[in-house]
Amino acid sequence: MSHNKCASPNFLKSFDKPVEKLMFLCALSSIVFLFLMLLFITREGMQALFTFGADFIIGPVWETNSNLYGALPLIYGSLMVVAVALAVAVPIGVATAMFVEEVLPFSIRDLVKSLIELLASIPSIIYGFIGVLFLAPQIASLFGLSSGTVALTASLVLAIMTIPTIVSVSGETIAAVPKEYKEAALALGATKWQTLKNVVVPTAKSGILASVMLGFGRAIGETVAVLMVAGNVAVIPTPPWNILSPVYTLTAAIAMQMGEAAVGTLEYSALFGLGLILFIITLVVNSLADIIAKKGIKGEKGL
Amino acid sequence: MMRSRSWEKVFFTILGAPAAICLTVFFWITSVLLTGIGTIRLNLLTTSALQGGLFEMIVGTAYLLLGAAGVAGPVGVFAAIHLTEYARHGRLIRVIDQAINNLAGMPSILIGLFGYAFFCRQLGLGISLASGWLTLALMMLPIVIRGTEEAIKMVPYNFKEAALALGASKWETVKSVTVPSAAPGIITSILLGMARVAGETAAILFTSCVLVTRGLPKSPFEPVMALAFNLFVKIVALGESPDKVFGIALILFLLVISFASVGIALRIYYRRKQPWLR
Repeated sequence: MSHNKCASPNFLKSFDKPVEKLMFLCALSSIVFLFLMLLFITREGMQALFTFGADFIIGPVWETNSNLYGALPLIYGSLMVVAVALAVAVPIGVATAMFVEEVLPFSIRDLVKSLIELLASIPSIIYGFIGVLFLAPQIASLFGLSSGTVALTASLVLAIMTIPTIVSVSGETIAAVPKEYKEAALALGATKWQTLKNVVVPTAKSGILASVMLGFGRAIGETVAVLMVAGNVAVIPTPPWNILSPVYTLTAAIAMQMGEAAVGTLEYSALFGLGLILFIITLVVNSLADIIAKKGIKGEKGL
Repeated sequence: MMRSRSWEKVFFTILGAPAAICLTVFFWITSVLLTGIGTIRLNLLTTSALQGGLFEMIVGTAYLLLGAAGVAGPVGVFAAIHLTEYARHGRLIRVIDQAINNLAGMPSILIGLFGYAFFCRQLGLGISLASGWLTLALMMLPIVIRGTEEAIKMVPYNFKEAALALGASKWETVKSVTVPSAAPGIITSILLGMARVAGETAAILFTSCVLVTRGLPKSPFEPVMALAFNLFVKIVALGESPDKVFGIALILFLLVISFASVGIALRIYYRRKQPWLR
C-alpha cells in the first residue's frame, strides 16, 4: 500500500542507502535467475535444435548409439505417466482437501494437514527406493509381468507425490471461501453436504483447477523417483495407452544420460534441448495456474 | 430432509477415505523404512566411507545444507523485506511475484542442469561444494522468500508505526522492530527450505557430488559426498541390492523428516500463538 511510504518522511532520502539497494537486488534475483536459466539452457541446447529442427520435437527415435535425438517418445512418456498419475491424484487430493477443511474438527485439522505436508517433504529418492523395493514387485506379480518397472508404477509413485500439492493448494482456496456464503446456504435450509457441493466447491473452483495445474507441473518435473520405476525404454508403447510397458521420460533422460554425455557433443546439447522443452512446459503450466488462481480471487471480490 | 441427513453421513465418510489413504501411505512408508533400523549400527555413522561407513556422506550433506542456507537465507530475507516493506505495488512487483512462483515450481533437474551450465562451467566452479551451495540455494530461495513475507506481514502495523513515531528511520524500524518480531517465522522458513533440499538428488547430480572422496572436502571448490547422491548412484548406476543401502535411505529419511517436522510444528505454533498477542 502506498500509505506506508508516507508514514516515513525519510523514505526518499533513505533510498540511496546501500542496504536498500542490496535488498532490491535480492528481490530481483528470482527474475534474474529465471532469465539466466532460460538463456543458458537454450544456449547449450542450440546445437541439437539446429541439427534436428522440428524433428527434435516430433522425431520418433531417441537413440544415443546412432546419434539420433527425437524427443517424441520422451514427451509422450512424460505426458502419459503424468496423465495417469493425475487421474489418481486429483480425485483423492480434492476429496482429502474437502474433508480436511470442511469435515474434520478444528482441533485435529492442523495435525492431519501437517502429516500430509510431511508426506510432501519426503525426498523423491526415498519414494523411488520404496517404489523399486515394494511397489514394482507387487505390480509385476499382479499383472504377471517380468519386470514391475513400468509406466503404471511410475504413475502411482507420482500420484502419491502429487497429492500433497493438490491437497494444500485446493485446501487453501476451500478454506478461503467466505463464511457468509456457507452461512447463507445453511440458513436457507441446505444441509452441510449440499452447502459443500453447491456453494463451497463452485466458489473454490478456480483454486482447485490451479492446484491441478500445479500438481501437473510438479509431476512432469519429477525426476529421480520416476526414473527408478519407469523402466526407461525410449519407445512409445504399443498400443499407445498400454500403461504396463516401460517408458522413458524427459526428466529421466536428462538425469540418466547427462553423466556420460561429453560437453560439446550432440548428446549433451540434446539433453539441454530436453531441458528447454521441460522448462517451457513448466513455465506455461505454472503461469496458467497463477493466472487462474488470481482470477478466482478477483472474481470473488467482484461478487 | 431426514433422508438427505443420513445420506450426508455416508457422503462425508466416503470423503474421508482418501484422507485416510494419504495418512496410511505416510505411516506405511515410515514403518517400511524403520524396519531397516536393524541394519544400522551406530559406528556406521562415524566410520569413513572407505571402510563402508557413512561419515563423509553425512558431513557432506550437512556442508551442502548449511552452505545453501547461508546463501539463500540472507538473499531470501532481504528480498522478502524489500517486497513487503519497500516495494511500490506495480508492474515490476507483479513480475517478481510471478518469477518467484515459477522458480518455486521449477523442476529440480532443470535447476541442476542450469547449475551445471552456469555455476560449474560458466563461472568455472566445476563439480564442487560451492556449485552445490548455489544450486541448492536457488531451490530454497522461493521457500525462504514466501515464508519470510508471511512472517513480516504478521507483525502488527502499530509496532512499526510506534517506531516510526519515535523518529526511527525506515531501515532502523525494519532492523530493530520488524525483523526481530518476525524472526521465529524467518527461521522456520529457512528450516523448511533446508528440509526441501536435504534429500534433493537431481539438483546435485551433476553439480557437486562424487561417489567417493578421500576424506572431507578441504575447500569449497572440491566435490563432496552426499547421502542422496550415494543412494541414487548405488541403486540406479551400480545396481546394488536395495537392502544393502537401507541404512542410507533410513538416515536420509530421518534427517529430512526431522527438519520438516520441526519446521512445520514451529510454524503452527507461531501462527497460533504470536508472542505479542499474549
